[in-house]
Amino acid sequence: MSTIIDGLSLGSIYALIALGYTMVYGIAKMLNFAHGDIIMIGAYALFTMMNLTGSPIVAIITAIVVCTLLGIVIEKVAYKPLRGASPLAVLITAIGVSYLLQSVAQIIYGAKARPVTLFSLGTVKFGEVTLSLSALVTLIVCAVIMVGLTLFVKCTKIGRAMVAVSEDKAAAQLMGVNVNNIISITFAIGSCLAAFAAVFYLLQISATSPTLGSMPGIKAFTAAVIGGIGSIPGAMIGGILLGLIEKLCQSVTALSPYTTAIEFGILILILLVKPTGLLGRKRREKV
Amino acid sequence: MTYFGYVKNDFKFKHIVNYVIVGAALILFTVLQLVGAIPRSTSYLLTQISYSIILSVSLNLVVGFLGELSLGHAGFMCAGAYIGCYFGGILSEYIGSKLLVLIISMLIGGIVAAVFGLIVGLPALRLKGDYLAIVTLAFGEIVRNLCKNVPWFGKSLGLSTKTYGVKLFIVGFAVILIMLILLQNLIRSKHGRAITAIRDNEIAARAMGINVTYYKLFVFVFSAFFAGVAGVLYGNYATPVLYSFFSYNYSIEILVMVVLGGMGNITGSIISATLITIANFILTTKLSGDLAAIKNLVYALILMVVVIFNNAPALQSFKEKFSFAALNDRLMEKKRAKNPEKFAADIRNDSAQWSRIPTKISMDEILSTDVVSNEGIRDEGDKPSAK
Amino acid sequence: MKKFVKFVSAAMAVALAVVCFASCSSNQVFKKDTWNIGCTGPLTGDAASYGISVQKGATIAIEEINAAGGLNGYLFAFDMKDDKAEAADAATGYDTLFEAGMQVSLGSVTSGSCKSFAAKAAQDNVFFITPSASEEAVIQYGDNAFRVCFGDPDQGTLAADQIKADGYTNVGVIYETSSSYSAGVFDAFKAEAEKIGLEYKLATFDGENNKDFSSQVETLKDCDIFFMPFYYTEASLVAKAATAKGVNAVLFGVDGFDGIDAMFTKDDVINNKILYITPFDAESTDPTVSKFVAAYKAKYNETPDQFAADGYDSVMAIYNAMKKADVKDVNISASDLCNLLKAAITASDFSYTGATGTMTWATSGACTKVPQIKEMKR
Repeated sequence: MSTIIDGLSLGSIYALIALGYTMVYGIAKMLNFAHGDIIMIGAYALFTMMNLTGSPIVAIITAIVVCTLLGIVIEKVAYKPLRGASPLAVLITAIGVSYLLQSVAQIIYGAKARPVTLFSLGTVKFGEVTLSLSALVTLIVCAVIMVGLTLFVKCTKIGRAMVAVSEDKAAAQLMGVNVNNIISITFAIGSCLAAFAAVFYLLQISATSPTLGSMPGIKAFTAAVIGGIGSIPGAMIGGILLGLIEKLCQSVTALSPYTTAIEFGILILILLVKPTGLLGRKRREKV
Repeated sequence: MTYFGYVKNDFKFKHIVNYVIVGAALILFTVLQLVGAIPRSTSYLLTQISYSIILSVSLNLVVGFLGELSLGHAGFMCAGAYIGCYFGGILSEYIGSKLLVLIISMLIGGIVAAVFGLIVGLPALRLKGDYLAIVTLAFGEIVRNLCKNVPWFGKSLGLSTKTYGVKLFIVGFAVILIMLILLQNLIRSKHGRAITAIRDNEIAARAMGINVTYYKLFVFVFSAFFAGVAGVLYGNYATPVLYSFFSYNYSIEILVMVVLGGMGNITGSIISATLITIANFILTTKLSGDLAAIKNLVYALILMVVVIFNNAPALQSFKEKFSFAALNDRLMEKKRAKNPEKFAADIRNDSAQWSRIPTKISMDEILSTDVVSNEGIRDEGDKPSAK
Repeated sequence: MKKFVKFVSAAMAVALAVVCFASCSSNQVFKKDTWNIGCTGPLTGDAASYGISVQKGATIAIEEINAAGGLNGYLFAFDMKDDKAEAADAATGYDTLFEAGMQVSLGSVTSGSCKSFAAKAAQDNVFFITPSASEEAVIQYGDNAFRVCFGDPDQGTLAADQIKADGYTNVGVIYETSSSYSAGVFDAFKAEAEKIGLEYKLATFDGENNKDFSSQVETLKDCDIFFMPFYYTEASLVAKAATAKGVNAVLFGVDGFDGIDAMFTKDDVINNKILYITPFDAESTDPTVSKFVAAYKAKYNETPDQFAADGYDSVMAIYNAMKKADVKDVNISASDLCNLLKAAITASDFSYTGATGTMTWATSGACTKVPQIKEMKR
């Protein structure tokens, strides 16, 4: 039982990161390998502001602002010039951005892990099971963000423009949608989500280092694919599923070293059965 | 007409340029090595270059010619390195000749990797684009995770291997030559055309009667085989073989070599693998101590600038005006004016320039034959499969 | 052809830029009239913090020696190449250092790359004394290899005996399967535990992708003491996970724990008692230690950890051995120097007292020093 709760709380972090991934992928059709590193920068922003002011609220607001601005800048400098170029070129600049952010963080903050304690929410006891409140909060916030994003995409003008862009860029442009702006806005939202991910990551794993973002980034990517890239509820389900699998494997000592293999093995199985992920839409191919 | 007549007619320098480059490098550096004119670090750098070239050219076959994004190349390398070197270690107790042990272990490593390639090839039949990319990445990580937990391979200590010594690069370059002969003949055969046809339009290719399943699996197996061979070369260069080297980051680095070299451009892959390896070598060795932290910064900046410069649509016109290519075009223009008939014949023979078509040709353009200029066939930024 | 030409032009531009940049900043650390100490270690990537600490500690030692006038009138030069904790990069680093004129070395920081380094150093007969590569195989490549840290098995055996002596019966062990350090200590612990009849429950993790320790703590939640042979970053996360789960076991660690106190902020509540085996205590009043700690704090504005102390001691041990051997010729070849140093450092009357205690060396290359068990104070 308590393994399941641990799994849910880890999964909710993956889900939160995967939401950002899937937003960007679904609309801009690019794998943003730098997403994990934006989270890392967010974590360092939190670290800096916590040390300077000691107020979690200020720190969180700063992190959100920093991440969003960073997302916009990266998009303008590294991705926008390549709009219309081959997607692989964009993939590689994304990797370049990822290296760049990591080494900047190392130059500024050093390679050592730094402790960050935003606030501790304590624990509640339900009979046998001790539940940490931060896990619960993460889950709730993740669900709220998911619902919010779904509503945003379905009901607002910008949201519907995003759907249009993701369906067909050329047609969207013909209908008067400013494709460039929509993609930039998507990046801003994705990076803003990265800041939230940083906050909740640090609530549960309270240390930050320059390579913080790479593994959660890849895990969240996996989660997004399991759920079906581009599908917002899919990302949530995929993330939580992944967290549960990871914790279940780790709780069995004999299986624990093989956790990565099992997680990725399940991913491959899911994709073999459903080639576009759990909630991904099938697209009929036309010649 | 006889076969040789055909070969003579078909002969062009660009078809042998790769052999010339690699062969010349092989002869030059072998002689230098034998007279003792190159320092040890350079001969090890040549070893690194040789396995990087093998990796990037073999990945180019999957990414550039078959058009499937693979992020698991380091996984094949990992399987080849661990298993090939493990058997190499056993064999060296029975066989005295180091070279023979190396060759046998390269074959073993290659075959094992090829089997893994077959396993990865199977999902490739069902999956497309980024979904396939994540599956290959996942597969590479699975292989790595298993290798690091196998007791025979030393678990977290890594597999201790016997290093081959400074002459390893000679073997490496010989492998490159063999691979190039196989690969280039494959690409220019009907099988190669079938592979590129699958890349350009899978459904159309299927309709033309091309056995898509067979070719996809074949390409994955072929490319994995050479990744495995490269892994064995790596294992004979560095001891111990340690799982951490083969992470997806390394797969991505190989992909960077392929993309910078140009998709489907073998010469490009060779050159970019060489340059990137040298750049890494210089950055690692020159930026020591306190400067090491800026190494990745410099590398990242170079990467971004090169990719943006090479690919940005906005810079296209600027580049075309002021590049060697423009100069080349003007020269060609003059040549064409001098002898128009010969040039037209050239174009016709050349209409299947597989190696330099960037990514995609739409069916219409193929059907309209006699592709005159490159301009019409530049990709529109779409995946081949998205059509 | 067009695409190709374009590519070549771009590639040449890159090559030029790289070469330009490299030659501008090319730091010729090694000179003809200095004693040249080289080593490799992770300066970027996941393990970077270990390599950087060693580099800083060694730099403090070099500065101290050079401020005192060096040896026989010649100063020391120190260069460290980044090996990202990879074997291949360590090999490259070794070759470039050796060709640049390295005479004596600190080997590598991590065990995996140090084996690659040691294999090459054994061929050339280059003396090295590694600060922190604790795997046994590292010093088995040749008689030129020495170390400053404890070997992995020593600590595992010691920990098992200590836990048994303290009378714990509910013992839990967490170890990192992907780290040779952790697995090496654990293997010795396991062997010793079987010998002395100590029973324990086991949980493992894979350091590459595990930052959340709730399930490991959950597995061992009934234990009174956790034995945790790994580094302080992960250990601090285990402590936080244990506190969050209400598990009050004692956390017992090895020398990798050193520096764990910096991983807790003043707001953190940790209910667990944290003990660890260490040769180094930054709060010690011993004059050698406090001098080193003060110099380190003044230069880098942080408390040195055990890697830094080991880096400092490695350089100092080399310096003292060279002083004992009374090496005069600054252009002595690495191999000749190695033979002198091997004799000097294993001599029965040679011992060195540094930041991590008083050390003597056996011909095997292992170092004997007295471990202490320290409790973390906050």
